[in-house]
Amino acid sequence: MADAEMGEDGGIAIRTVDSPPTAGKLAESIDAGAMDMATPNGAVSMVESTASRLPVTVNKPTPFTFDLGNLLAIDPNPLPRDADEGILAATARDAAQGLINQLLTTCDIKSTSDGVVLSLPPPTTPLPREKPIPTEKPPTKWELFAKKKGIKDKKREGKMVYDDASGEWVPKWGYKGKNKDGDSEWLVEVDENKERETGEAGDKRAEGRRARKEKVRRNERKQRANERNARKNG
Amino acid sequence: MLRQAKPKNARAKRALDKRAPQEHENPKMTLFVPGNKTTNISKLAVKDLAVLKKPLCMKFTQKNEIHPFEDPSSLEFFANKNDTSILVLSLHSKKRPHCLTFVRTFDYRILDMLELYIVPETFREMQQFKNKKAAEGLKPMIAFHGAVFENPNETKYTLAKSLLLDFFRGQEATGVDVEGLQYLISVSAEEEDASRPAPQIHIRVYRILTKRSGQKLPRIEVEETGPRIDFRLGRERFAEPNMMKDALRKPKGTEPKTKKNIDTDIMGDKVGKIHVGKQDFSALQTRKMKGLKRGRGASDDEEGTVVDDLQGHPSVEEPPTPKKGRY
Repeated sequence: MADAEMGEDGGIAIRTVDSPPTAGKLAESIDAGAMDMATPNGAVSMVESTASRLPVTVNKPTPFTFDLGNLLAIDPNPLPRDADEGILAATARDAAQGLINQLLTTCDIKSTSDGVVLSLPPPTTPLPREKPIPTEKPPTKWELFAKKKGIKDKKREGKMVYDDASGEWVPKWGYKGKNKDGDSEWLVEVDENKERETGEAGDKRAEGRRARKEKVRRNERKQRANERNARKNG
Repeated sequence: MLRQAKPKNARAKRALDKRAPQEHENPKMTLFVPGNKTTNISKLAVKDLAVLKKPLCMKFTQKNEIHPFEDPSSLEFFANKNDTSILVLSLHSKKRPHCLTFVRTFDYRILDMLELYIVPETFREMQQFKNKKAAEGLKPMIAFHGAVFENPNETKYTLAKSLLLDFFRGQEATGVDVEGLQYLISVSAEEEDASRPAPQIHIRVYRILTKRSGQKLPRIEVEETGPRIDFRLGRERFAEPNMMKDALRKPKGTEPKTKKNIDTDIMGDKVGKIHVGKQDFSALQTRKMKGLKRGRGASDDEEGTVVDDLQGHPSVEEPPTPKKGRY
């Protein structure tokens, strides 16, 4: 299986692919544009022989340590005094070679449509965070109670509910909501017992609305109390 | 603090939620702040560093009367306002020439600071290197050379290492495109010597060139693309231990789970330990011999126990120890 491709500079790279994602192929993809011949047999081995003698190993008295998640190579060998640019470049080259060797040999290589991707391990060098770890919200009073009693959250079945009287689906709350059913009755019965106690004829239509409003206010009160407690304890 | 105001609309709430502490954090943003007096050299250096940092950086252009070692509150304010946790202040004075102060914040408070003075004689900006540069916004490869960075104690050099790594490393990534390994930032320092001034930190940026080596791995060559900056070390402020401890805390559940009984030996081979359950010897069928035959008179329920008395079968005696195998 051999394929040919045009390099950037017009050179043709012929390569044999033995197994799909190998470091050898990878080297070619990094090196896009160079005129490369990498077939093991006769005709092109001449080109290979000029290129094949370049060493790719790095020998240092103390080996490098790597943090591949950060693409970091640490070279603990002392730098000679009064190092000039040549020495700096040489040490940098060695580190780059070592890092790329390490990356190509230890990381998983995947060929995707976007290119050849190396999967990196998580970083190991401890670096400080930017912000503290978010704290968990303390449970509300209701959540504590529900946990104690073993009450599970009710599954919600949407906003609409079937109205038997009209035979239609109506919203549970809100505009024309089911909870406002009695509010617009043109004629309501007076609760005699209540009238006897309070001394005035109550209005059932207004009471429903008042109760709803009170429920909302109560909930807000509880919410504020929970927030206050969370601030105090948290 | 700025956080006190309650958001009035959904957009503002989303923006605030984005800035709130996250378990998996966004990459750190860097803010370059010019001090009251700067020089051309420090401006050029900041410009080039910003090019390397793009797009994770912001740049201020106006002067600011800030002296971080006297009063860092305005830097904290900037960090909060712009949500940037690395700040670089450039400031020049006779005593501290061409100074870049690298500041890191945690929770909008100053974590640590280090002053680095650019050596003007050796400074070269990126433009002075007339060659092809690496593409912008790529994750760089970073190398630290020199034993001074490996000091187990907290020194200016270890602080510089931590700061520069944090500064340059860019976005955290789980994978990297091979095409994206284009440049190397090399940070090197010589050995400390009591008779000479403290060694400088050399920052060099090289583009990676790969050559075919005839082997599986490519041969790497480097070409300097700049900027070339040498730093002398100035004042420092180490992080308070408590604050650093908080900052280094990892969220729960992020440590990789260790799998029991599976490890890797020095050769990089995966070694597993297998526990075989206890063997039931009573059900074992051994060699049949006439003498061991059940007698006519013996009761039937003794059947199983006879085998236990047998001798000379090492395979039977073998204790059920954990066996090592490779897979």
